[in-house]
Amino acid sequence: MTFSYLLITLVAMFGHAEDFLATSLLSRPLVLGPLVGAVLGDLNQGIMIGASLELIFMGNIKVGAAIPPDVITGGVLGTAFAILSGQGAAVALALAVPISILAEMLISGLFIFRSAFNKKFAEAAEAGDFKRFQLLHIGSGLLKPLLMGAVVFLALQLGAGTMKAFLETIPPWVNTGLHVAGNMQSGLGIALLMNVMFSKKVAPWFFLGFLLSSFLHLPMIAVACLGVVMALIVTNASATGTPADNEEPSDIPTQNQPASFSKSDIRSIFFRSFTLEANFNFETCQNTGFAYSLMRILKKIYPSPERMALALKRHLQFFNTSPYGSTLILGIAAAMEEENSRLKDFDSESINNVKLGLMGPVAGIFDSLFWGTLKVIAAGVGTSLAMNGNALGPLLFIILFNVPHFVVRYQLTFIGYRQGYKFLQKVSGSHVMDKLTSGAAIVGLMVVGAMPALLMSVSTPLEVASGVSLQDTLNKILPQMIPLGFTMLTYYLLKRQVRTTYLLLGLLLVGFLGSVLHLLA
Amino acid sequence: MIKLLRIDDRLVHGQVAFTWVPSLGVDTLLVANDKVARDDFQKMTMGLAKPAGTKLLIKPVSEATFFLNDDKNKSAKVLILVNSVADAFAICNGVQDVRAINFGGLRAREGARMISKAVALTSEDEDLVRELLRRGLELEVRQVPSDTRQKLADLISQ
Repeated sequence: MTFSYLLITLVAMFGHAEDFLATSLLSRPLVLGPLVGAVLGDLNQGIMIGASLELIFMGNIKVGAAIPPDVITGGVLGTAFAILSGQGAAVALALAVPISILAEMLISGLFIFRSAFNKKFAEAAEAGDFKRFQLLHIGSGLLKPLLMGAVVFLALQLGAGTMKAFLETIPPWVNTGLHVAGNMQSGLGIALLMNVMFSKKVAPWFFLGFLLSSFLHLPMIAVACLGVVMALIVTNASATGTPADNEEPSDIPTQNQPASFSKSDIRSIFFRSFTLEANFNFETCQNTGFAYSLMRILKKIYPSPERMALALKRHLQFFNTSPYGSTLILGIAAAMEEENSRLKDFDSESINNVKLGLMGPVAGIFDSLFWGTLKVIAAGVGTSLAMNGNALGPLLFIILFNVPHFVVRYQLTFIGYRQGYKFLQKVSGSHVMDKLTSGAAIVGLMVVGAMPALLMSVSTPLEVASGVSLQDTLNKILPQMIPLGFTMLTYYLLKRQVRTTYLLLGLLLVGFLGSVLHLLA
Repeated sequence: MIKLLRIDDRLVHGQVAFTWVPSLGVDTLLVANDKVARDDFQKMTMGLAKPAGTKLLIKPVSEATFFLNDDKNKSAKVLILVNSVADAFAICNGVQDVRAINFGGLRAREGARMISKAVALTSEDEDLVRELLRRGLELEVRQVPSDTRQKLADLISQ
């Protein structure tokens, strides 16, 4: 057993290593669930549990320095305990929620503790010692997977036996109750997404998505594709040609391009940016990640420790942006550093001014597009397949999100370096951003609208008369109206500023009691 | 109608564009900042980050106050963004309707003390905060709408 525990620990550490892996969503339950399942010899179960967890935690996203419950630790342990005890998804959910909340506290503690390293970073910067700087960045980054790995291993080694014995005593009716409760809780995941996407103006798209899947039984992929078509029609985007990201072929350098950096130097910024969040801390956020990303080019233009020290100190300033758009700023900073190294009278302060000026807006754009839209679509499509144990679910989830992610991230590095913020001026002069955000809202909302119908299976076993089921009658009016109703109610309460913890518990209770009293199934 | 006055040194960014704006249902983002109002580059980049369907206004603090007091604008649902406690204080002095302030993010800097995960206050800031509390304003620390609110009064020495 200890060997399986070690493997599960590795899965959790892999999840926590996402900060080194470009924040590419490999840490989501939809991905880690199947891995835990595979370790314990039940891939199918792992995929399904991963899907259920993804639904509940779908709305918990990291924006800025706001840290959501740690679904990596909670999900991995919940899935492992559920499979070990043979109790299935319901138990995984019931365990994952409290564990995630506890684990989040540990991680917040780490993010506070990491600030203590800032002195070490400052010393390394002062000495121009980039080697030590890089080691610190990596070392501090490794703390998170190591710490959480230790927690997971200890929890398994010390708790699995007791936990298994306890879980095995759960009677079937409790398990059924938890199962219904788990389904209800996905309503909170959906409502949290609505909370950041839904408004009166765009409401029709939400209901269109719902109706397409409830009456016409269209699968999630079909709803998403229809959404894209709708978005193209509504924003009239197809008439204007390619989006701005592809406007400039990336291999044509502009005339006045200084040649200090080769293409592979710039590419190194892209690859190094994968570790942008490795040393995330509450005091300075991604500052050392930014410096680490630029290190290869800094070495090239500042061979002397004195000049290196100036550059490193410059980049120690607070920095925080969306990792998905970070390379645009990194590219621009690279070009400015290059100027700075060649021109005596270059105002090096301007590098930080541009960084600081851009980080907010870039976060605004890319958080909305990637977290707010692309992740929602990828999770919608992925979970809808994975709920039936289809391994394509997690795969499509990763692909749908990361192909656009890496293409954009790669291109932005070169765009930033070669065009600087002229690129932004160009974009701001056109209506590309408006079209992109309103188009993205359409696709995203249609997918979210389809979610209650496709992903939240709550129905009623009640009978209006003997032999006539209430559910059949309801289905004739509006299929899936129960999940829609609960989702809308949760959304309404969220809007009224009711705390998510209460909502989570409330849905758990309603689902559990509803099942026990034979009102819900 | 003022929906929220938020102190956030990154002004318009992910948390604002992607969580507060939709969650509050605002139609106007008012950035009140003397420096940004003079900086075309920043004005341009903030325009890019503006969420779809909202109006973005960038004004010096004094003009922002004027805008907020103008009866013509009372129907707009406004989220005001400032990047310092002092600017928030100035808005409160000039505008009667502000009853609450959200402390979203103030990065660690020389002479400032972290009072929560994302908010650092200097002793001058704390003086202003105490004055605002004395006037009965509701001061909360919260990064995104789904976070638990913390009362600022509990986080500083009175």
